Amino acid sequence: MDTKAYIESGIVESYVLGLCSNEEAVELELLCDIYPEVKTAVDEFAVLIEKKAFENAVAPPAEMKQKLMMALAGEFTPETKDDKKEAVILPFQTSDANKVRQVSMWRYVAAASIILLVVSAALNFYYYNNYQSASSKYQALLVERNSLQANNDAFRTKLNGFEESMSVIKNPDVKMVTLGGVAGKENNLAAVYYNAKTKDVYFLQTRMDQIPSDKQYQLWAIVDGKPVDAGVIENCDGLCKLKNISNPQAFAITLEQKGGSPTPTLTAMYVLGKV
Amino acid sequence: MPEVLKYTEQELVLLLKQRRQNAFSYLYDNYSGALYNIILAIVPDRDMASDVLQEVFVKIWRQCESYDSSKGRLFTWMMNIARNASIDMLRSKGYQKNQQNRELTENVYDSAGSTVTNTDKIGLRKVVHALKDDYKILVELSYFEGFTQDEISKMLNIPLGTVKTRLRNALLQLRELVKN
Repeated sequence: MDTKAYIESGIVESYVLGLCSNEEAVELELLCDIYPEVKTAVDEFAVLIEKKAFENAVAPPAEMKQKLMMALAGEFTPETKDDKKEAVILPFQTSDANKVRQVSMWRYVAAASIILLVVSAALNFYYYNNYQSASSKYQALLVERNSLQANNDAFRTKLNGFEESMSVIKNPDVKMVTLGGVAGKENNLAAVYYNAKTKDVYFLQTRMDQIPSDKQYQLWAIVDGKPVDAGVIENCDGLCKLKNISNPQAFAITLEQKGGSPTPTLTAMYVLGKV
Repeated sequence: MPEVLKYTEQELVLLLKQRRQNAFSYLYDNYSGALYNIILAIVPDRDMASDVLQEVFVKIWRQCESYDSSKGRLFTWMMNIARNASIDMLRSKGYQKNQQNRELTENVYDSAGSTVTNTDKIGLRKVVHALKDDYKILVELSYFEGFTQDEISKMLNIPLGTVKTRLRNALLQLRELVKN
């Protein structure tokens, strides 16, 4: 091949300046491999253009390098001390080292995750225990509070009863009738408060014998010599309001079947008192 | 700036491929001026040329894996990146707008659309101005404006073969001018 003619065809310049077609470039690169003089011609012109560009070099804006370094900061390999030497002699070790660095970084990441996991599990356990104990304490307090509330309610009811009783007793229209124990029942004592105006009858159990659960005390008023039912005595706080009675001369209490009897069982009379 | 390290082109390329910051810094310090010159010859506006230069360095950095030193010199490879980026800039909308404004104030374009600007005092372009007109327009259109020979043939209404041989002759003459 007449390489001289080829070189002098302008293809070399066209190639270096990037003006030839792809096919022309491929051909020229092939010829460079075969004919050193073509390669030399290419290099010569490249050096020529390069020298021209360097002779006419124009300094770019001062801040540009800084900008570029910042823009590419994340893409640089961390530097080692003896950079130049190492890079030239051991070109492939660096990429291995890179891999090692990457692997060991993953190891650190994995180790850190495991530590975090363990710490997190321990904290979970600790906080769960705390939660458990706080929760059971809370339950206990809730129960205690409810029972206190119930007690409070009970006391309030009792107190209301006593207050009502007090207001009855304080009423000047109300007269107290003491019922003393009859023969054989001397240790029993009770009282009836009677309001002559309203005919209200209140019973105050002061000291009465314990009775079986199928029995109940019943209050009788003696009106015109005859016993009149004034009601059975329930458990109540303070005074128990019983049936209204007109014009009683005396009150008596007998022990009767639960629910009361229409006529008193006189043998089971416990207390008696005159108005 | 005192340069402590001196790299050969081979060393520099190797270090660039290893993504070394030193290498990039060295590359910039040593080649930015010459590449800026290449760009300014195509994009005379300094601000725009600066944008191109920045883009070119990013491209060089990111594409240096594809550089094959057996196929040519490092600068030739970078110069081609710079030229292509510059021509892309010429064809960008922002540049066109800028040029229209310039045209109104300076009227530096002839009717054929080729550049006969009075701002080309830079490097290779200055040399191209010494060529005879037939040659000059071909180099302008192909190298500085990036038109293909086919496009130029249609633009100037000259057969493609003629464009090809005339351009090659122009480049041979250019070579002689650069040499001297």
